[in-house]
Amino acid sequence: MKPLLFAALSLLLGACTVQDDPVFDARSTRLLEVVSAENEVNPYVIAAKVRTGKDLEGACLLLDSLTRDRSIGGMFYAYSLIGAYLFTRDELPDSLHAKVRQAFRDRTMYRGDTENHWVMYYTGLYLAAQTWPGEGRDAWFNGKSSEENFQEAAEWLGHWMTMSATIGQGEFDSPTYITTFLTPMIVLHEFAEDHVMKKRARMMLDLLFADFAAEHLEGNYGGGHSRDYPEDIINPLGAPSTMWAWLYFGKPEFAQWEEARYRPRNRGGWETAFGALGSYRLPSMIRSMATDRSEPYVHTETKRVRNIIRLGSEKNPPVYKYTYVTSDYILGSLHGGILQPIQQHTWDVTYVSAKPNNTIFTLHPYSSGKELAMFFPEEIKFLADEVDRYHLVYTSPDKWNSSSPYERTFQYRNTLIVLYNIEKGEIQPHIDGFFPKNLDERVQSEGWILCRAGRVYVALRPVRRGEWIEENVNWRWRSRHLKNGVIVEVGSEQEDGSWENFRASLRSTQLDTSVFNSALSVSYRNRHGIDMRFSFDGIRMLNEKLIHLEDYGFFDGPFIQSERGSGRITLRYGDQSRTLDFNTAEIIE
Amino acid sequence: MVIRSFLLACLPAFLTPVLFGQTDEPTVYVSVFSTKLFVVGAANPQTGMFYQKPSEDTAWHHTGAKNIRANALAVFPGVNGRIRYTASGNGLHRTRDGGQSWKITTGWRITELWAVALDRTDSMNVYIGTAYGIYKSTDMGDTWKQVFTGFVSCVIVDRFDPSILYAATEIGLYKSTDRGETWKRTGLSIDRTRTVTQHPKDPLTLLAGTENHGIYASSDGGKTWEKREAGIDHPTFYTIAYDSRDPSIVYAGGYATGVYRSTDGGISWKRTCQGFEVEHIHSLAVDPVNPSRVYAGTMGAGVYRSDDKGKTWRAVGLPGAQVGRIVIER
Repeated sequence: MKPLLFAALSLLLGACTVQDDPVFDARSTRLLEVVSAENEVNPYVIAAKVRTGKDLEGACLLLDSLTRDRSIGGMFYAYSLIGAYLFTRDELPDSLHAKVRQAFRDRTMYRGDTENHWVMYYTGLYLAAQTWPGEGRDAWFNGKSSEENFQEAAEWLGHWMTMSATIGQGEFDSPTYITTFLTPMIVLHEFAEDHVMKKRARMMLDLLFADFAAEHLEGNYGGGHSRDYPEDIINPLGAPSTMWAWLYFGKPEFAQWEEARYRPRNRGGWETAFGALGSYRLPSMIRSMATDRSEPYVHTETKRVRNIIRLGSEKNPPVYKYTYVTSDYILGSLHGGILQPIQQHTWDVTYVSAKPNNTIFTLHPYSSGKELAMFFPEEIKFLADEVDRYHLVYTSPDKWNSSSPYERTFQYRNTLIVLYNIEKGEIQPHIDGFFPKNLDERVQSEGWILCRAGRVYVALRPVRRGEWIEENVNWRWRSRHLKNGVIVEVGSEQEDGSWENFRASLRSTQLDTSVFNSALSVSYRNRHGIDMRFSFDGIRMLNEKLIHLEDYGFFDGPFIQSERGSGRITLRYGDQSRTLDFNTAEIIE
Repeated sequence: MVIRSFLLACLPAFLTPVLFGQTDEPTVYVSVFSTKLFVVGAANPQTGMFYQKPSEDTAWHHTGAKNIRANALAVFPGVNGRIRYTASGNGLHRTRDGGQSWKITTGWRITELWAVALDRTDSMNVYIGTAYGIYKSTDMGDTWKQVFTGFVSCVIVDRFDPSILYAATEIGLYKSTDRGETWKRTGLSIDRTRTVTQHPKDPLTLLAGTENHGIYASSDGGKTWEKREAGIDHPTFYTIAYDSRDPSIVYAGGYATGVYRSTDGGISWKRTCQGFEVEHIHSLAVDPVNPSRVYAGTMGAGVYRSDDKGKTWRAVGLPGAQVGRIVIER
C-alpha cells in the first residue's frame, strides 16, 4: 500500500509543479504582442492573432492561405497546421474547419528522413487523427483510417520517447533543431487527450529543456552539437535555441528579435508562440539549472549517432560529450569522428559577451559522399551535390560545420586537446579556426594564440603553424598540415585574477610532441599540473590513468544524472530532485 | 478486393485483355524520387509515380501521392496497371483500382524503401528492399515480415520459378530459394552490388551491376561470376535491361555512363551518349511490344527515349527529374 500511496503523492506533486511564473508570463505576453502584429502566412502568427483577439479576420485570411498554398507541405506543415488549428478552432468559421480537415485529405504529408522530421510528422498525424476520429481510409492522404493513423503515430512517438530517454537523441543538443522537438511536444502536451501521452509529452519537454539547461549560459547553447547551421555556430545567440532560452529561462535579458545583431535567420520562426500559448510551465528547478552558475561544473553525456544504414558496423554507436560550464564561458566537446552527417559541431568555447560571434573553435571541413551514404539511402555519388543544394556549404573548404573522421578530442575541465590526422589525398587538406574580429586582444606569443574577450581568456597552442586570413566578422586561422593538433586552455578573470596571470600560468605548461610524427600522440601538463596524454587512436590518459569514455553516464553532472538504458533521468538542484521515469510515465519529486 | 486481386492473378493470361480492356500500346510508368528543385519540407515540385502511353511522347500524368520521393515502383503484369506499388520515403503506396485510390501499406517500422518486386504468379506476394533489409508480404502489403537485414538496392523474383529471388545489397549479391524466407550470398565476390537482372529466356543467366566494380555475369544461377569488361570504361552500374524478344541485346547504365548496349548477351558492349543532357542513367526499360523503343531514366534530366535500339536518344519529358525506375507493362 505504501508504494501506491507514494506514487499517488508523487503524481499529485508532479501535477502541482505548474505554478505561476511571472517571468514566463511577462515574456510570453510580450512575445505574443510582437507575433500577433506580424502578417506572415505562418501558423504561429495565426494562432497568436486569434488567441490575443487582435486580428481574427486577418488570421482567418492567413489560415485560408495556409490551407490553399500547395507550395507548403510535409512534416513542418503537418504538426504546425494542426497545432494552429487546435489553438484557435473555437474562434474559426465553419469554412476554415473544413479547409483544415481537407488539407489532411488532399495534401501529402511527407514523413521525411530525419529524427526531427518524424517527430513533427507523427505529432501532426496523432493530433489530426485524434481530432477527426472514426473516419475511413478515403478521408486521409495516406489511405489509412483515423484509427490506423492514430495507432501508428502513438506507437512511433512512444518509441521515440523511450529511445530518447534510454540511449539519447540522434539529433541531440542542436541550437537549431531543438525547435523542431520542443514545438511538437508543446502541441502534443497541450492537446493529447490520452493522459499517458500527455504526460510523456510533458516529460519530454522537461528532458529537452533540462538537457539544454545543463549546457546553457546567458542564452547560449554551449558545447558540442549534433547539428547546427554555420551562421549560428559562429554567432551562438543567433540560433533558434536563444528564443527558447529567452522565454523559458529568462535569459538573455534582451529580446532576440529586437537585437539586429542576434536576429535569427528567417526560417518562418516564431515557434515559441506555441509555447507562449500553451499550458506547459517549466519547473522552476530547471530554470535554476539553466541560470545558476555560482559554481563551475563538469557535465558529461552519452548520446547516440544517428542511424547508420551502411558502411558501418553498428547502427547507433554512442556519442561521448564533455562540457565544462562556468559563469563566464562554456568549453565543450564531442569525442570526435563522424557522429552526424553534414552539420556536426565538435567543440567550441562560447563565452558571455555583449558582442556577437562570441565563440572560438577549430574544425576540419570534411565532406564526402561516403559520409552521407552512411546515413542517407540515396546514391552515394550524387549525395554531396544533393546535400549542397539544401545546405549550400556542404562541400565548401571554408564551411564552419563538419563531422570529420580526422578529428578527435580529449577534454578535462577547461583544458582541451584536439588532434587531426587528415588522410593524404583528402580534398580539404587543412584545418580552420574561427576567431572573432571583435576580440579585445588576439596576440601570438611563445607558441600560443592568446585571446581576450572581456573577462574571458582563451589560449590555443597549435602543434603546427597556420596562417591568418581576414574575413568579414572573423579571422580564419588555417593550417595546411595533415597531422596537427591544438591545445586549448580557457580561463577568466574570476578564475585567474587577471589576463596577465592567465598568460603567466601558460608558462608552466609542458607540451611533449616527441612522438607526434610517429604515433600522432601528445603529452601535455596543463596550467594546473594535470597530465594529459592523448593519441589519435583513442588512448586518453589523465595523470597516467586511462579514461574509458564508455564509463560516462547517460547524464552525469550536478544537475542531471542517469544511467544509460535505465529510462530514469533525475534532475537535481539544491535540495530539489525530479525524476522522469519513462518506464512508468511518472514524474517523481 | 483481396479476393478479386487473387482471382486476377489466377486468371488465364488470355482472359485478362478481354476483361480489362488492354490495348496493344503499353503503358510506361516511372518513379521520380527527386528533382533539381526538391527541398525536404519546403516548396516542392511533384515527385512520385508518372505514366504515359508511348504515343503521348513528352506528356506524362501524375498518379497517386505527390511529394513522396518515389525510389522504385512495380506493376503487376497483365491487369492493365490496376495493381501498382510505389516505394517511397513514406512507405509502400499501393493501388488496386488503377490509381483511383492509394494506401500506404507500411507503418513506421519500414522506411527508406529502395526496391519493390512482385511475384508475377501470385499477386499476394510482394517484396520490398529498404535501407534496413528485405520485407516480405503474402497479403499484398497488408502485413510484413523482415526476412533479410542489410542495405538493399534491388530485389527481383525469378520469372520462371517464383520461389527464387535475388537481391543486390551493400553486403553482396544474395539469393533465396524459398520465397524470400532465407538468403544466402551468391558466388559474386563484390560487396556493393546495385542491380541484378535475369535473362528473359534462360533462368540461370544473370547480369549484375556494381558500385565501382563494373558488370558481372553468371550462367549458373549465381554460383559463379565472370566480369564483363569488353568495351566498358565505367565502373558503376545502376541498371541493366534485356530486350525480352531478343535477349542477345542488353542495355546498361550507371554513373556517367550514358547507355551501354550489347548485341551478344552482355559479353561485349558499346557506349552511346548521343542526345543525353545528363549521362547518369538510373533506370532502363525496353518496350516489350516494340523493342526498338528503349527508355532511360536519368539522374536529374528526366526521361529519355531511343527509337532505334539505343543508338540515339532524345528527352521525352519530366525535365530535371531523378528517375528511380521505369516499368513498361501492357
